[in-house]
Amino acid sequence: MRNVAIIGCGQAKHGRRTDVNQAELVAEAVWAAVEDAGIAPEDIEAYAVGNMQGFGGIAQPDLVFADYIGAAGKPMQRVATGGTVGGSVAHLGYYEVASGMYDVVLAVSWEKHSDSAEPGATTGLLHVAYANLSYMMKVGMDMRSFAIMGLAGAAAGISAYQAAFYMARSGCGIEHFDMVAAKARRNAAKNKYAHLKWPNCTADDIAKTEMLIWPMRFGHVCPASDGASCVIYASEEAVKKLGVEKPVAWVKGVAAYADEEADQGEAYQGTAVVDYSDQTGAILSAMKAYERAGIKDPRKEIDVAEIYAPFPHQELMFSERLGFFDDGTAWKAVEEGVTEIDGDFPICPSGGVNATNAIGSSGMQRVVEAALQIMGKAEEHQVPKDVRNAVAHAWGGQVQFNTVMVLGDSPKR
Amino acid sequence: MGVVRYEGLPFVARFRWNTGKIMEKFYGGFAERQILAAKCENCGYTVVPPRVICPKCSSKMNENNLVKLDGRGVVLSYTVVRKKLDGKGGFVTLDKPEVIAAVKLNGADSMIFAKIGDVDVEDIKSGMEVVPVWAEKPEGRLSDLLYFRPG
Amino acid sequence: MKVAVIGYAVSNLEWDAEKTREETVFEVAKSALENAGVSREDVGTVISASTDFLDGRTISNCMLIGGGGAYLKDESKAEEDGMYAALYAAQRLMAGVHDIALAVSHTHSWIFNPHQVSQYMLEPWFDRQNDLINGITLAALQARMYMEKHGVDELDLAEVCVKNLRNAAKVPYALRKLHDITVEEILESEMFSDPLTELMIAPPCDGAAAVVLASENVAEEICENPVWIKGIGNSCDNYLRDRDLAKLNSLEIAARKAYRMAGIEEPFREVDVAEITERFAHQELMAYEALSFCREGKGRVLIEEGMTEVYGDMPVNPSGGALAGDPICATGMIRLIEAAKQIRGEAENQVDGCRTALAHAQWGLCAQKNLVFILGDEP
Repeated sequence: MRNVAIIGCGQAKHGRRTDVNQAELVAEAVWAAVEDAGIAPEDIEAYAVGNMQGFGGIAQPDLVFADYIGAAGKPMQRVATGGTVGGSVAHLGYYEVASGMYDVVLAVSWEKHSDSAEPGATTGLLHVAYANLSYMMKVGMDMRSFAIMGLAGAAAGISAYQAAFYMARSGCGIEHFDMVAAKARRNAAKNKYAHLKWPNCTADDIAKTEMLIWPMRFGHVCPASDGASCVIYASEEAVKKLGVEKPVAWVKGVAAYADEEADQGEAYQGTAVVDYSDQTGAILSAMKAYERAGIKDPRKEIDVAEIYAPFPHQELMFSERLGFFDDGTAWKAVEEGVTEIDGDFPICPSGGVNATNAIGSSGMQRVVEAALQIMGKAEEHQVPKDVRNAVAHAWGGQVQFNTVMVLGDSPKR
Repeated sequence: MGVVRYEGLPFVARFRWNTGKIMEKFYGGFAERQILAAKCENCGYTVVPPRVICPKCSSKMNENNLVKLDGRGVVLSYTVVRKKLDGKGGFVTLDKPEVIAAVKLNGADSMIFAKIGDVDVEDIKSGMEVVPVWAEKPEGRLSDLLYFRPG
Repeated sequence: MKVAVIGYAVSNLEWDAEKTREETVFEVAKSALENAGVSREDVGTVISASTDFLDGRTISNCMLIGGGGAYLKDESKAEEDGMYAALYAAQRLMAGVHDIALAVSHTHSWIFNPHQVSQYMLEPWFDRQNDLINGITLAALQARMYMEKHGVDELDLAEVCVKNLRNAAKVPYALRKLHDITVEEILESEMFSDPLTELMIAPPCDGAAAVVLASENVAEEICENPVWIKGIGNSCDNYLRDRDLAKLNSLEIAARKAYRMAGIEEPFREVDVAEITERFAHQELMAYEALSFCREGKGRVLIEEGMTEVYGDMPVNPSGGALAGDPICATGMIRLIEAAKQIRGEAENQVDGCRTALAHAQWGLCAQKNLVFILGDEP
């Protein structure tokens, strides 16, 4: 099996980017990655791209800006899987190299939410909510209630429900969500690409914000950002051939095992998922990724994790499902500061998705941030310990998709 | 077993795309009845509308690369459109067929797609020279460029 | 490492099928597994193909996990033609991470007219503001550009249609089967944007397809007649305004790569049959050239001489191609399946002694990107 490394990363500045169009936003991340990798555009042999096209209002946007990112004349493959899309694009790029078809592949994912004419919610989310939940109109829900539900964001609604399940089974309190959200904003202040920065944010600051949908406070909710994230993969031979001397991050294992949708199915029937915090897909994906990476004890062998948590309970929940803490104990680790940047098991030193959420970009951004930690290039939010292995995770869909990537400082032997 | 169908959306939610700074200059050019392009310093490719990355060699460009085109062009290809999309998934037959063409503007390497007017359908030929027809009071929008006509 | 196609299934192509997408996808996924002689438990990874715009809902795969066989499988979704899903599935096998893969693709065109979706593929801050521009009118511009450059006329386009629609008459799942259609009827069918009449435009419809792939050792062990992937080529052209519409450049690049990988030096001689995606009749002629079946501009010679008929020297689209039915995301995968059927000797319009087959998929306005697979009867 081929060893594949990440030799360069790039991000667009995330936030509300009304200064650029969607093509320019993606180009920003792409050319930053090319510069970071120290390669020429001609060295890129193939592309992996993806976003959630309904949000930006362009169908197959990568075709519109193929020639903003140097892809003209080259192979390009597109994937789209919901919130996991960034992770899915990262996996696709890895497989393009691992397959032996190409030696150097650029993978980029993005989202531009601000191209909406509607205030408050984005146009894309409104269309999405209607398209996926229109049956509720047939069974008697009125338009106003539907709009409220849709505007709360399909993702926020389903996540609030999940948070309630998680609280019940783990015994944690809302104060733990406050702690995680505060940590996200403090960490984000150290990350030049992040959106919501709040240098000295405390759990009390978060606790003072308004309760939106129990147990979610306003201070728990992620922003809707614009952004793009990019990595460049190279095979082991290409790393040598290109003369890459600085540290690279090696992909040791990837897995993305899909669960059944949690809410409702195609015919709007219920599904077998009762407890949304079970996350069987996450457990299975982690298990398979560790197996492929040769990781036997994740708590000991993984040094940092970038978990996709637009809402704070998800950081707690996934840190358990991915094997870093026992079921129901993550909140204790947070109380003890274990997951701080300088803690024993830092989680989301970048501030994570809670502080920056360009949906299509976020899954890839986790991979970028994990890679930066391994390469020692995370600057102000670099964790102050040896990083031998890192995990990058994303979730999406009806809380059913999970992508897990294990990165390491040396290739598998 | 029948399939239940839902149609349409009971609300309208629109997009309003940010165009980026160099496209804003392009629209601004229309207020002056001016078509702007961007010329790449590295490979010489002139792209219209202008953009920040050269589509051929990927060199970066900015406002300093802007060039003014004289607006004249050549028809590379044309088609007489008889059916138009109705925006709801169907087609509507045009009472009066309209013509669109792929036009190569003088001084630019890209082609643009534009309506052709002021000419009988039978008289349109590829290779025909055309000039832009502007709105009486241009406002700096794409609609300022009404169509191209032979000239 | 070699990968083989070991099973497949195609649904009926219909307009406004009385089925949910879940049912359609379930049927082909299940049939393909049966055809391959494997169970769902044997499958390691599932890649689907569908698009959010065409399905009219975001995360178009989220409610199709169960139906598509992907429950608790290593899964992803290609958001383009199904042949790209087969490509990604093959890459997962070639990487050595999995042994058996299932790729499933679908589009129900009645949900959101793909021609309308073609307008959403236009750059919003310029091209999209001209409401006459869409996939059909752009293809018409491409057709005239190509025809005027090489002295091709509407008759040549109509002959492509006649060939394909008559071929489709024998294909049970096809949408348009017109066994006695004439050139005149093609030319007199309703004009959309000249020179393209209704019958020259591949009809969007509802359909799905699925293929099962296996890595070399497994394929040899469990399959009696695996169809081997000998070469793959993939390429994407510039966006509309900055490419030569009169030539399918990215198809030429993709074909060259596929041929090189398959060790093919004289395509006209060494390829026994080709299944290509011709979303518009003129694109088939352009494809003959890009695939090096003839020199640039000579595509019309092949159709005029009948060389691409089933009985000809270079049969193209014995299944009828996309002109016989275009379930968008499934269309390229159906071309792959038809090419595999030719290798296995199971095609309705079987080419004698077929040992090397080419399958082609396109995506994007005026075929901006192209993917080529070469299939053979030996690893």
